[in-house]
Amino acid sequence: MSGVNSQPAATRQNAAAHAPATANAPSGMLPLRFILTGVLALAVGMVWVAARPDVLTTYHYNQYVIALTHLFVLGWLCTVVMGAMYQLVPVALETKLHSERMAKWQFVFQVVGFAGMVWMFWIWDMKQVGHFGSALAVGVGLFVYNLARTLLRVPRWNVVATAVASGLFWLSLTILAGLSIATAKCTYESAETLAATSVLGAMIHGLRSLAMFMARFDQLGAMHAHAHLGVVGFFIMVLVGVSYKLVPMFTLSEVQSKARAACSVALLNLGLAGAGATILLRSPWKPLFALVIIAGLAVYGWELTQILRARKRRPLDWALRYFLTALALLVPVSLMGAVLSWPTLPLNATTGQLENVYGFLGLIGVSSFAILGMLYKIIPFQVWFTTYSQHIGRSRVPALADMYSARWQAAGYWLFAAGLLVTSLATFFSHAAGVRLGGLLLTLSVGTFIVNVAKILHHLVRPRITPLSLKPRPGVPTDTSPAAMSGSSSPKAENAFAV
Amino acid sequence: MNALQLDEAIILNALREVIDPEIGCNIVDLGLIYNVRTAGTKARVTMTLTTPGCPMSESIAHGVQMALLNLEGVEDAEVELVWDPPWHPDMMTEEGRHRVGMTPR
Repeated sequence: MSGVNSQPAATRQNAAAHAPATANAPSGMLPLRFILTGVLALAVGMVWVAARPDVLTTYHYNQYVIALTHLFVLGWLCTVVMGAMYQLVPVALETKLHSERMAKWQFVFQVVGFAGMVWMFWIWDMKQVGHFGSALAVGVGLFVYNLARTLLRVPRWNVVATAVASGLFWLSLTILAGLSIATAKCTYESAETLAATSVLGAMIHGLRSLAMFMARFDQLGAMHAHAHLGVVGFFIMVLVGVSYKLVPMFTLSEVQSKARAACSVALLNLGLAGAGATILLRSPWKPLFALVIIAGLAVYGWELTQILRARKRRPLDWALRYFLTALALLVPVSLMGAVLSWPTLPLNATTGQLENVYGFLGLIGVSSFAILGMLYKIIPFQVWFTTYSQHIGRSRVPALADMYSARWQAAGYWLFAAGLLVTSLATFFSHAAGVRLGGLLLTLSVGTFIVNVAKILHHLVRPRITPLSLKPRPGVPTDTSPAAMSGSSSPKAENAFAV
Repeated sequence: MNALQLDEAIILNALREVIDPEIGCNIVDLGLIYNVRTAGTKARVTMTLTTPGCPMSESIAHGVQMALLNLEGVEDAEVELVWDPPWHPDMMTEEGRHRVGMTPR
């Protein structure tokens, strides 16, 4: 009797050339723990905006805004993207994750690191920010190493792999920049009493030297460079890269021009290298590199449009609508970025609020909206894979779209879009009540998402499985598992497979 | 049922119970089944997937094997996963096209 693993030689040969992608994926619970933690951070962040609208109605260079920003960036976006990458990178690039154990350790460092950083930013204890930031950096180091080793095993290097590798590089640089900024905000009195020859002394002296080096740069410029490297270099880069795999997969299409896709990633990398340096140095060349990044995004938009035009699956489901709406927001965000990069732009209240809108739309409009859309694909898949993959063929199992409510999903879309509009306008006009209303709409939207996540997770404890055949046959693993036996069954499904 | 009755129609009917969970359509109407052969109590299916990086590939191939083994008269089932010729939407049946929202031919 053949088993799943006892396939014929021809199959094995083909499998060697194109290994079954699921075989490469880590266990479903690994990405889920990252994703659920991230969603919790998002919910807390949205409630925070509604409760404290002053974080958006005042200039962003203060401890509360920095704390909230790090909650969104590290707690929500980074945690979710890392969890998703542990799943997506091996699957999309047809290789195996280097170490699942390392990823589990990274989760601990990530949670301790970001939670401590947000707390310490809130009370503005920069020394402790540095300590928790170091813990986070250890985790990021594990993540980057793990993914880099995974990428080294990729059988066919392509634009997705290039984008992921680029994202890892920019993430590493972002973390180093962030730690350097935190170092520069600390004092090192003990350096006077500690000899540089001891381990602790060498570390303190090294940190003091780094702080003195960082003092050469404008603090605001360094913070803005750090933010752009992280958001554009990691989140946008990874979104661009994986979408070249996922959008064709979800819409039954294919990349229309590999050269165009490669060009978009190359332009983003070139623009980021220049933008990082010119923002840090407050150089008048900032607009040039802003335009290079915008050109990269425009080429990406061009290719994505072509992919969508060639799609065979005509209706765009709500998950893709979330994702594509987020990408459409790159247009206003890019325009704002171009304006704000202008060197002679006066730094007044209007400019400050425009910067707030720019940052808000970049983080919540583009990155978060896109990731929420992708999570409507990733979470059902994880749960489906954990719950149903062993039952398919023996029982009737639900499709991914049957695992949650499309109505809640649509309601969440419109609430999120309305929340973005209201919050952006209210932020620009420094209107606290408007920001509160926008924050509430966004909170409600996240609430709908959590309801749907709960519906999806419910399949882990009460699977919907209808056995197709209960005839005991020698050697055939008839689906008599408790899950299958207790699964709901429709009248149509009963004896649907009597041959 | 004896081996003679184990024809392609019965096997395809069984495989219609195996869905691509992302697309929500069964693999037969999606056009993923390239060939079905039977010999005695042995059934062999040659199939593909919509993309080599399909995250459901292992589950779907496993599901095909289970569906075959669930058939009376099948004692041995083999699933051959091939990528040549690559799958194309034109391989879908009218039912498959309807399910993914494509216009009828």
